[in-house]
Amino acid sequence: MEAIRRSIDLSYSFIVDLSMDQIRIDLTSSIVRVFLTLKVENTGASQASDVLLAFPPTEAEHLAIVKASTAEGKRKRKTYVPLSVNPTELPDAPNGARLFSISLRNPLKTGEAAVLEVLYIVTHCLEPFPVEISQSETQFVYYHDSATLLSPYHVMEQITYIKTPNNKVESYTRVDPTNRAGTELRYGLYHDLPPYSYSPIIVHFENNNPFAVVEELVREVEISHWGNLQVREHYKLKHAGARHKGVFSRVEYQSRPSISGVSSFKHLLARLPPRVHSVYYRDEIGNISSSHLRLGSQKSELEIEPRYPLFGGWKATFVIGYGLPLQDFLFESPDGRHYLNFSFGCPLLETVVDELTIKVVLPEGSKNPSSAVPFPVNQQLEVYYDFSPISMLAEPLMLVSAVFLFFIACIAYLHIDLSIRKS
Amino acid sequence: MAPKPISSPVPVAWYPSLAVLMLSIGLVVTASFFIYEATSSRRNRSLSKEITTGAVASVFLGFGSLFLLLATGVYV
Repeated sequence: MEAIRRSIDLSYSFIVDLSMDQIRIDLTSSIVRVFLTLKVENTGASQASDVLLAFPPTEAEHLAIVKASTAEGKRKRKTYVPLSVNPTELPDAPNGARLFSISLRNPLKTGEAAVLEVLYIVTHCLEPFPVEISQSETQFVYYHDSATLLSPYHVMEQITYIKTPNNKVESYTRVDPTNRAGTELRYGLYHDLPPYSYSPIIVHFENNNPFAVVEELVREVEISHWGNLQVREHYKLKHAGARHKGVFSRVEYQSRPSISGVSSFKHLLARLPPRVHSVYYRDEIGNISSSHLRLGSQKSELEIEPRYPLFGGWKATFVIGYGLPLQDFLFESPDGRHYLNFSFGCPLLETVVDELTIKVVLPEGSKNPSSAVPFPVNQQLEVYYDFSPISMLAEPLMLVSAVFLFFIACIAYLHIDLSIRKS
Repeated sequence: MAPKPISSPVPVAWYPSLAVLMLSIGLVVTASFFIYEATSSRRNRSLSKEITTGAVASVFLGFGSLFLLLATGVYV
């Protein structure tokens, strides 16, 4: 044990041990959310300014967000302060584990402990099994993970809770001590785990939540300085759960909704900014009238219902468009440039987007565009450009000159003498 | 330090009223232009009066049609 400790000592200048961590894995929707509560203690010689998190390579490829925060204040005045998380490289990480480093606000001195809360979201990691189901069957998925947290540090105590959407768990790997109570599966309490310890587990459970995946999303934002921001979004939606096999019987689907098509979905909810107007929902055939828009003061909700319910492997393509007031999104920065502050992500809730393209159309007469895109996603996209207000006169001057040309033509016609006889 | 939001130079709520007002003035001036053309004889016409009336009418008609486009939602 001493020998292993010392080799790790050489690559880090400090050691941080995890004295107690609690992992809560939420499998109740189609996207997996993991909440970690880590109590870190510095047992090395020097100060620790960041804490490392490790992920196995398959999970790291599908990571959507990693967020960390620490609690400050006591009891009622507890506030959570976000910490920045950045990917790092470490030369001796085994088996291609990917590392992220959380920067602490105050460096941890020797002997000190701190509590960190980490949230990370993984997409595309619930594997449907059986791969194909018929209309009247329910959907079961595999969840692959490890009973112990993959960590570059020595872990003294650890417990993992897995929450499934309902009681139907077909099977789960037992890594003692393991217990299951209703919708909660507990792995732990484990003591004294060496760094990078990994015990793979598989949980096979029923999950009928909508597995909506947007394969490709193209968003066009058109800025008009006369007061409007027009957004047009082209979606290619797919149901990424267990594929549908056999026939689709509409009679059975409508007459027994609790048995037939439980894993399919009919509705999708999109969250739009508050003062939205002129919302439309179309596809290549034409307008789709099955939608509801609820306007509010904080946000607006658009509930769309595609022309047919989506079963496993089925796709739908549609366009959603809406207009927004300009003053909510376009600002003038102190150095005179205009900048657009717009949310980057997809407005559909509980959906995963595989490919996202954003196009911003700047008004005529803009110069020097540049953009700042912060990652991870769900942040604001900022586009900067120079625009002088005189350029706005381009449009009315075009119209004025067109009409004036018409009047000049009238005058010219009336002055030209086309008669052959002298009058 | 709070960034200043940018909005249209003309309040958006005025667009329909401005459109109607400017188009009606423009059409009245156009009418006066054609009445002048019809009533005056070829010798009494003054080119400067025709051109100024035409210019004023085209300015009002141009801006009026711009506000008409904006009021209907075609944000040019």
